[in-house]
Amino acid sequence: MMHCYLYLSIILFCLGIVGVVARRNVFTVFMSIELMLNAANLAFVTFARVHESMDGHVLAMMVMAVAAAEAALALAVVILLHKHKGKLDTNVFSLLKG
Amino acid sequence: MFEHVLSVIIFLPIIAGLLLLASPASRVIARFTGLAVSLSTLVLSLDLYMGFKGTGLLECVENIPWIESLGISYGLGVDGISLFILMAGSVLLPLVYFVFGTKEKGYYANLLIVQGAMAGAVCATDMVLFYIFWEVMLLPVFFMLGLYGGPRRLPATLKITLYTIAGSLLMLAAIVYLGVSYHAQFNEWSFAMDKMAQLNLTGQVAAVAFFGFMIAFAIKIPLFPFHTWLPDAYTEAPTAATFVLSAVMAKIGVYGVIRFVVPVFDLEFARFAILLAYAGVIGMMYCGFAAIAQKDFKRMLAFSSASHMGVIALGVFCMNIQALTGSIYQIVAHATSTGVLFLFAGILEERTNTRTIDDLGGIAAKAPVFALYFAIAMLASVGLPGTSGFIGEFMIVLGAIKFNTAIGVLAGTTLIIGVCYMLWMFQRVFFEKTSSRAENFKELTLVEGLVFLPVILLIIVMGIYPHPFLSKITPSTALQFAQPASVVAQVPASNVQYLGLTIEQK
Amino acid sequence: MEQSVNYLGLIPLFPLMGAVLIGLLHVFTCKRTALPEKVYGILACIGPVLSFVLALKVFVALKALAPEARFLTHKAFTWFSVGDLHINMGFLADPLSCLMLLFVTFIGSLIHIYSIGYMGGDKNYGKFFAYMNLFLGSMLVLVLGDGPVVMFVGWEGVGLCSYLLISFYSEDRSNVLAGNKAFIVNRVGDLGFVLGMSFLFWGIGGNGFDYLSLKANVQHLEPAIALTVCLLLFVGATGKSAQIPLYVWLPDAMAGPTPVSALIHAATMVTAGVYMVARFSFLYAGVELAGTIVAWVGILTALLAAIFGMFQDDIKKVLAYSTVSQLGYMFAGVGVAAYSAGIFHVFTHAFFKALLFLGAGSVIYALHHEQNIWKMGGLKNKMPKTYITMVIGALALAGCPPFAGFFSKDEILYSALATGHFGIWAVGVLVAGMTAYYTFRMIFVVFHGEPRDQHAYEHASEAPNVMTVPLIILAVGALFAGFLNLPGIFGGDQIVSHWLAPSLSEQHPHGNLFVEILAIGASVVAFAIGIKIAYGKFGQGAPEPSFSGFADFAYHKFYVDELYDRIIVQPYKAIGSSIWKVIEPNVTDAPVKGVTRLYMVLGTAFKVFQVGYVRIYALYMVLGLSIMSLLLSQSLN
Repeated sequence: MMHCYLYLSIILFCLGIVGVVARRNVFTVFMSIELMLNAANLAFVTFARVHESMDGHVLAMMVMAVAAAEAALALAVVILLHKHKGKLDTNVFSLLKG
Repeated sequence: MFEHVLSVIIFLPIIAGLLLLASPASRVIARFTGLAVSLSTLVLSLDLYMGFKGTGLLECVENIPWIESLGISYGLGVDGISLFILMAGSVLLPLVYFVFGTKEKGYYANLLIVQGAMAGAVCATDMVLFYIFWEVMLLPVFFMLGLYGGPRRLPATLKITLYTIAGSLLMLAAIVYLGVSYHAQFNEWSFAMDKMAQLNLTGQVAAVAFFGFMIAFAIKIPLFPFHTWLPDAYTEAPTAATFVLSAVMAKIGVYGVIRFVVPVFDLEFARFAILLAYAGVIGMMYCGFAAIAQKDFKRMLAFSSASHMGVIALGVFCMNIQALTGSIYQIVAHATSTGVLFLFAGILEERTNTRTIDDLGGIAAKAPVFALYFAIAMLASVGLPGTSGFIGEFMIVLGAIKFNTAIGVLAGTTLIIGVCYMLWMFQRVFFEKTSSRAENFKELTLVEGLVFLPVILLIIVMGIYPHPFLSKITPSTALQFAQPASVVAQVPASNVQYLGLTIEQK
Repeated sequence: MEQSVNYLGLIPLFPLMGAVLIGLLHVFTCKRTALPEKVYGILACIGPVLSFVLALKVFVALKALAPEARFLTHKAFTWFSVGDLHINMGFLADPLSCLMLLFVTFIGSLIHIYSIGYMGGDKNYGKFFAYMNLFLGSMLVLVLGDGPVVMFVGWEGVGLCSYLLISFYSEDRSNVLAGNKAFIVNRVGDLGFVLGMSFLFWGIGGNGFDYLSLKANVQHLEPAIALTVCLLLFVGATGKSAQIPLYVWLPDAMAGPTPVSALIHAATMVTAGVYMVARFSFLYAGVELAGTIVAWVGILTALLAAIFGMFQDDIKKVLAYSTVSQLGYMFAGVGVAAYSAGIFHVFTHAFFKALLFLGAGSVIYALHHEQNIWKMGGLKNKMPKTYITMVIGALALAGCPPFAGFFSKDEILYSALATGHFGIWAVGVLVAGMTAYYTFRMIFVVFHGEPRDQHAYEHASEAPNVMTVPLIILAVGALFAGFLNLPGIFGGDQIVSHWLAPSLSEQHPHGNLFVEILAIGASVVAFAIGIKIAYGKFGQGAPEPSFSGFADFAYHKFYVDELYDRIIVQPYKAIGSSIWKVIEPNVTDAPVKGVTRLYMVLGTAFKVFQVGYVRIYALYMVLGLSIMSLLLSQSLN
């Protein structure tokens, strides 16, 4: 039973990675990151249930809090990016190109 | 002389410099603060000098545990070797505040910091403390060169900084190696220099550590072939920085060799001394030859300085008391002669707006006092008897002959090489017909004349009556030669088997 | 055995203090109202005269002692002392240094007095006298020093002063170049001296590095080291005393004011080398090979310089080459271990050469700095005092009996013959004839015949008394100095040789009447032939000759200067600029540049991965993490 949850978690995480790597819209990337976080949460909760320990739950709550805070910041950054270039395409922002 | 005089000599300029950087002081205030601080340092150093007993051992020792778990302590002390380098800095640096037009605040602040750091490096008796001061020393030079240097300053700054840091990191690794070996051999942590002399170091790793130190110091000295940063840096640096580099900082490289390499790595040192001595001699000739090809008098003096440093370093490598003492004496003599020549070159540059030798001429007729001072400093630099330069050079050549005849003979050629480029430069700049640029050359002002006078007199006094100075140096140098043998004798036989005991076996 | 007297140190100190005082006065007044010349002149003469008085006192004190005990020492202070090396700033007066002292201070004083007149009107009057005093002071340190290191102070000091004085008219580049040449060539010699001292110190210097201790320990010196030391010291002497191969600076040194030429060439600097060899006679006496080399170098120099001297047209250059030539004789003398003969020639030479130079200076002064002898002529009517004194000097130089030069030169040639150095004697006799020829060539061309430059002749007149009086005094010296060492064959008893004997390690060759007569006869014949040829060619006035063939070659001094320039100076400069332009950037700095290039290459290579897109960076991260977790999982298993 546990394996099903963990497989789901892995699939969600991989979807997140694919989203981050392959998509160019900033929002999509951002949502993919959230997806990965939630995949991790799922794994935490699963293990917490299996081991009957509260640690996993605590960590999951922690991650959700952090994710919320991060979302607030990230959205502000996204708005600034949009103001700056008028686009939300990640390929536009390539100042780090060597 | 009070108990913590060394700490005050070190930290008074550093703290004053930092405060100056933080404060919104004007240029004039900065200049006068710098002057006041360096003069008070001078007074303290003179007090220290007067109270120095010349026993050969460390005096004015301060020792406060710092990082006890690693045996690192805040240890200071001076002996006959370090005293004179300390004095060279303290006596000569106040000159800088007198002679040139008022510069930016940061210029003076950095000058103060470098003064303190150099004093710290010379007085430190703990290797970690030494390393810290050694690195701190470089920062002000970096800023002075990068901010206030000549038009092509940036490449020069990068080169000197990267070059020196590369050497320093090797030294850091070697220091760590020494600390770890000490722990392995005596089962306690310590980085104190006097304890390191008891170490028994052999094998490949010891040789690597030896070269770690040697390369760091060789870069600072600079010893051939690690001198290539020097011409650009000396030429592009503002005169005060060039002065600091040549008059004191280079000497700390030599000092490092005497203080770390000779007592700690006595076996490796004896093994590689001939190689190092050749490096010194070749460097002397190489830079001396290069000096004759220069069109820029500051660059010529830079090569001349490197050439003399080769001789000074040679004195250390010859492993006899005459050469070593001569080398330390020459350190002071070189600081007063070549260092002052750099200041004079700065004055020349400031008043004629050129550094090209061919643009000048006939200055002796326009400014006889300046010419006289310059000539005396120049003659000291070529080692004329009766000036400070002769005593050291003679003893180094004498010692070199004992060490190795070929090296001695080659070292002697410094007598000829030095005089060739110096006379050539003197002829073009001071003699011949007055050039248009030198037409309005102003004589030294009364203040400048009086400020340089003590140094010029020092050059002559050190040549005619060196005994008081030497009597403070010789006990320490004699001890240098007493030490290695006794250390080897003290080593218990059981320890000998652990000679190979190094980090990789732990 | 030795006696300490504290006034020895004062002898060099007087002129040195004079130099400092005059120098300071000059520096501080030359930009404002200059002091009157008289002040400088009088100040400058005080030092040398006081030194001369003290030298007389030393002489009297020495005379009072028994001959073997004639040592006066004075240790002023410990100069430096490190390990075994103990050097005192000490002074030693023994018969040898006392003799040098007497004539150096005497002739030095005369030249100072003469200079008051000669330098009149020069804007650097004060500077000149400061240098002259410094020069004399250094020379006295050289003479009085009690060990080689103190001697070296004076040794280099006179080198410096000659540089300063030769480039005295420093606005003209050629003068400064001549000064540079003198200093640098001297430095080459000094290198030999320093190395010689070093070897000597490591040989026997541990028990004290002064002449008396060295002399006491000399038997412990290994022969090979002794030979090395002798030859190295002799290299020093060839530099200072202008011998082959380092003689080239001396003729150029004529660029300085004439009294300087007199001081350098006659009394002081150039004789230092001979003095040094005599000082180290205890060393040279034990190494015959070194002595032979010294003698041959000396006599060949004498020959070479005499050849050059026969073709010069500058009055001072003729005298310069005659000096080189006479110095060659002196070295031949000390080389064949006839130290007292060499020193005696130094002594007599000081008189007649100073006389000739000052006389030449007087001529030059009268003709407003004309030095070419082919622009002179017939001056004997205009300048009778100069003429007569110069003829005396010339006779002494040429070795005409009974003038001073005859006895001293003959003594050297006799010693060479008596010690079996036949070749040296033969060359010496040949050179004696050549000396007579070129000396009288100069006299005849300058003073006899018709004036060649009528305008200059009209304006020429005898020099003022301040210049002629020293000439007359020196002429008296040139006439009679030789009698001081009258050999036994003429009924004398060689006062100078006996006086010098305690200082020198020499053995007098056994007197052989035939050899002695042969030597004297040959010298006189050579002199007579030389002067006859000179009279035949120039006695009645002669046009300026044009040289061809060998004469032209000799006129250009065998192109030695050009040769040195080609094989030493130019390569030196070429090495310098090739180091700076080629080796430094491409070889020495290459590793450093290599490191920077390595970083550049690596940077360019890794730049490819820096695409700038965030998502690609995320991909790297994912890949990296995957690899790490793979490795981790493997290691856990």
